[in-house]
Amino acid sequence: MATAATQPILEVKDLRTYFHTRTGVVKAVDGVNFELFPGETLGVVGESGSGKSMTSLSIMGLVPQPAGRIEDGSQILYKGENLLEKSPAEMRQIRGKEICMILQDPMTSLNPVYTVGNQVIETLRQNDDDQRSTSLKERAIELLSKVKIPAPDSRFTNFPHQMSGGMRQRVVGAIAMAGAPNVLIADEATTSLDATIQYQYLALLKELQQDTGMAIIFITHDFGIVAKMCDRVAVMYAGRVAEIADVRELFNNPQHPYTEALMRSVPNVDEDVDFLYSIEGQPPALDNLPPGCSFADRCPYVFDRCYDEFPPAVAAGDRHIATCWRLAPEFANQEAR
Amino acid sequence: MTQAVTDAAAAANGNGTAIVELDNIRKYFPITRGVLLRRLVGEVKAVDGVSFQIREGETYSLVGESGCGKTTTARMVLQVETPTEGVMRFNGKDASRFTGPERREYRASVQAVFQDPWSSLNPRMRVGSIILEPLLTNHPMGKNEARENLETLLNDVGLRQAQGEYYPHEFSGGQRQRIAIARALSLRPKLIVLDEPVSALDVSIRAQIMNLLRQLQDQYGVSYLLIAHNLATVRYMSHQVGVMYLGRMVEQAPTRELFANPSHPYTKALIAASLPSHPDIQREEMVISGEVPSPLNPPSGCHFHPRCPMVMERCSVDDPELRQLSPVHEVACHLF
Repeated sequence: MATAATQPILEVKDLRTYFHTRTGVVKAVDGVNFELFPGETLGVVGESGSGKSMTSLSIMGLVPQPAGRIEDGSQILYKGENLLEKSPAEMRQIRGKEICMILQDPMTSLNPVYTVGNQVIETLRQNDDDQRSTSLKERAIELLSKVKIPAPDSRFTNFPHQMSGGMRQRVVGAIAMAGAPNVLIADEATTSLDATIQYQYLALLKELQQDTGMAIIFITHDFGIVAKMCDRVAVMYAGRVAEIADVRELFNNPQHPYTEALMRSVPNVDEDVDFLYSIEGQPPALDNLPPGCSFADRCPYVFDRCYDEFPPAVAAGDRHIATCWRLAPEFANQEAR
Repeated sequence: MTQAVTDAAAAANGNGTAIVELDNIRKYFPITRGVLLRRLVGEVKAVDGVSFQIREGETYSLVGESGCGKTTTARMVLQVETPTEGVMRFNGKDASRFTGPERREYRASVQAVFQDPWSSLNPRMRVGSIILEPLLTNHPMGKNEARENLETLLNDVGLRQAQGEYYPHEFSGGQRQRIAIARALSLRPKLIVLDEPVSALDVSIRAQIMNLLRQLQDQYGVSYLLIAHNLATVRYMSHQVGVMYLGRMVEQAPTRELFANPSHPYTKALIAASLPSHPDIQREEMVISGEVPSPLNPPSGCHFHPRCPMVMERCSVDDPELRQLSPVHEVACHLF
């Protein structure tokens, strides 16, 4: 858990990632701010098109080219240095070593024509000083056993198609851990796994985090993963952070109408729900965002100001920020209606 | 509320009449080797002796992980697959002895909504034609009558009249799923097979579709066979739940009973592995090691025994039969 005294390992400041297309500018990420402390787990929740994956690709320096561009004034500070000012060569030293990523589908993130051992070694070769092949193999097997692959010696020579989905995702985990990263980004990493396998994988990530003290960013659409894994949560909507808070604070005291509505619209395994609240309508198109709050059309508390002007980020409690006009001091009395 | 009433009905055992009844259904897929000299080298027992009833106006859910046979079971209910063994009855009649007209009636009475609304709608047809196609095929009718039907269906699933003129690509995922539901409803079926109907949708859209399905069930009195892996969805949608593991039913009970009193270790594991709805919820730690074994070569005895935390000696030898814990609650485990 983070204490206020330590420095954040990663700081995202006013990140704007736009796509310049023939038909207009698509604002995939539009002014995102958050901090990540060592050993902390941050959940980034949102629906498709909310900009959560584009935020993680921006951090990795992998925004699709040439349409995608990170706009001037955006900052991604890793250990205090702006990643956006790094040269491609410098980024290669950071990406895959200091900051790693696990993607949703292990079948597409592994190369089908190389053995898994080979692919782990490939990463080790990039990162390690000791290049002797025997020690590389030893290290690779050690990594495979660290992610709890049974019989790592014999699995070492397997091809990805010879493994189950859960095992493949463990191999991806081993590759990510090869560089002993400080930040691990898991982008829907367990979405394609079965329930009991997902449970095992989440437990594994927790364990690896405790061993290494790395920080994890969970990109997910599932509040259950947030509740189980995260210390802090950012809820994204239409390219912006609608609300960010510590996990218990967010679940007990959601301030943004979108967060509140989302939580009420998720069915519950733990109790009977008579009727689920549902948010009517659709998220707005990102190439034609309204000038005001992007959630205004679907918001039950909407008032005139919401349509005219984008709401400010307001402190709603201790380490709790929500972007909503209802919380702005000059509108405190509006809520009483 | 309706749930409580139907649970009570179920407790009184079978007040609701069964629409579709599966009796010891099996589906084995042969594995062959060789091109010219085909020989049988084995069988995949995709579904291995499953029995359950879907009652009128109720939702029966099948849950389980990939490879448990829930989709194959649904395909047999849709008569896309013929069972290797066992009997399926529709309104008391054996489906394998249907006459031509009976089979046509069955196909009209049982419809389906699939997971992916991007691939289940023909991109070259207007939405109105997609929705009316099953209806016009089965009951030729005049233009005016067809238009009236379309208006009712569009309205019932929450789409605007004008949207009948659009093509599927003009809709979002949630709206496409509404179109698929309208198409399934057009023949006023007795049963709709819902194969993961919300898992491809965004969180905020899922609730819309689940509520719509429940509302349409009340309105049309249709039964659902829901295939899902998300326990929360199952708990919200269904009256009865069957838990499957490697082709077999391991536990079966009314929804409330199952979640209040899960008995099979696998059901307990599934619930323990489901994600909490609040960070303060601490689940019973239930570590299930390993993965679902291949259905090609399932473990002996109880299929779950290699992963079961409560495994005993006889589990690897004896097949546990489904036993009644109570008149409505069945479990296949040697612990009971």
